[in-house]
Amino acid sequence: MTPDAIPAASPSLARLIQELNRLPGIGPKSAQRLAYYLIRLPNEEALALADAISAVKSNILFCQKCQNLTDSSPCGVCSEPQRNQEQICVVEDPMDVLALERTRAFRGLYHVLHGVISPLNGVGPDQLKLKELFSRLTQEEVKELIIATNPTLEGEATAMYIRRHLAGQELKITHLARGLPVGGSLEYTDDLTLSRAFQGRQEL
Amino acid sequence: MAPPRTYHCEALILKHVPFGEADLLVTFFTRERGKIRAVARGARRSNSKLVGHLEPLTQVNLSVAQGRGGLDHVSQAQLIESFAPLKDDLKAITKGFYLAELVDGFGSEANPNQPLYHLAVAGLNAIGQDPESELSLRFFELHLLKVSGLMPELYQCVECRKDLAPGSHRFSPDVGGCLCPDCRPADAHVRPLSLRALKVLRLLDRSQLREIPSLKLSDSLAQEIKSLLGMSIEYWLDKQIQSNSFLEQLHREEKSGVYS
Repeated sequence: MTPDAIPAASPSLARLIQELNRLPGIGPKSAQRLAYYLIRLPNEEALALADAISAVKSNILFCQKCQNLTDSSPCGVCSEPQRNQEQICVVEDPMDVLALERTRAFRGLYHVLHGVISPLNGVGPDQLKLKELFSRLTQEEVKELIIATNPTLEGEATAMYIRRHLAGQELKITHLARGLPVGGSLEYTDDLTLSRAFQGRQEL
Repeated sequence: MAPPRTYHCEALILKHVPFGEADLLVTFFTRERGKIRAVARGARRSNSKLVGHLEPLTQVNLSVAQGRGGLDHVSQAQLIESFAPLKDDLKAITKGFYLAELVDGFGSEANPNQPLYHLAVAGLNAIGQDPESELSLRFFELHLLKVSGLMPELYQCVECRKDLAPGSHRFSPDVGGCLCPDCRPADAHVRPLSLRALKVLRLLDRSQLREIPSLKLSDSLAQEIKSLLGMSIEYWLDKQIQSNSFLEQLHREEKSGVYS
């Protein structure tokens, strides 16, 4: 929505609506609702939000090792000496690190790609943090690379590209198991997932 | 009586983007109704009954609820064909994305085109069977133009309408195909067309997809045909094909021996 489309009574309100409209999943109507909500907020609460946005933009940087978003580089995870330095888990974005950390199942290091190869959107390997991953693998004593991209077609393509690039190197490359989700149902599971679940079956 | 609010269709999933908190906005090309965009509620949740059925390059039976003035909603999806061999190979996946992007570009909304639907399904099968074959993509491109009513003229000069005699000719998507050496229309983007390339284009036009893998072309001839068809496709779509750049990158990396 352009500022011209908003009643000209308040250019600053029009600007706020325009900026909110840029956020993912926020349409013009939602942008207007949010803008009027912010106007009605007490001054200190609205300014706290503005301050948080400003602080995050000026303080956040990429960790020099794992490329995750952090306030200081190397980040908290990369600086932990108890972590297994020989395992790197490759994920699509920072939220995946949070999801894996919640499980407490993995105590190695991460590498965040900040996206996946998406040919339809013109996103290729050069737009991801892949160069940083390949260079990291030459500098660190890594024995296993665990690819944890999402089990989508684009995630699989990214995993294949990484595997193809590292073929022939003395490095164990694994990816997370594919199969049935907890709480899922065989009846509604697609054929590809079911066949991969069969391939990855485990002895009880 | 009011028309039914749910319809069933056979479709090829072309792409999807995240929508809202856990939904997907899915674009699919149906056999019965042409291209449709619809919301799949909750499809990003791992325990959704729709998950896995709506991945790009998947053929499915769908039940879709018509939205009131807005987007339709996918209510059920049943997999017909997952094109599993295609999804085990990076180059094949990329070619599949390229095919999907072309179907998305040439397929129009709510305008059925069954020949295009069947061509796309056959094209995905062919890519899965032979991920290295470039000619099956060329076949797809030429027949895509044909079923979209945009087939370039390969037998007569588009200006003077005389049959093309053996020799070197020229090609221009602007004027709709081949030009004889005597005709030079103004303002047309014209490029040379070798006799060998013309013969291959005519052969692709007359062939069945299953006959294609037996053809072997020199690198220069394959490149000429790829470039001519690519030029026609970008002319009609009036935009660059996004997925082509990654496909080209894979070709370049293979040639430079990155993976050897």
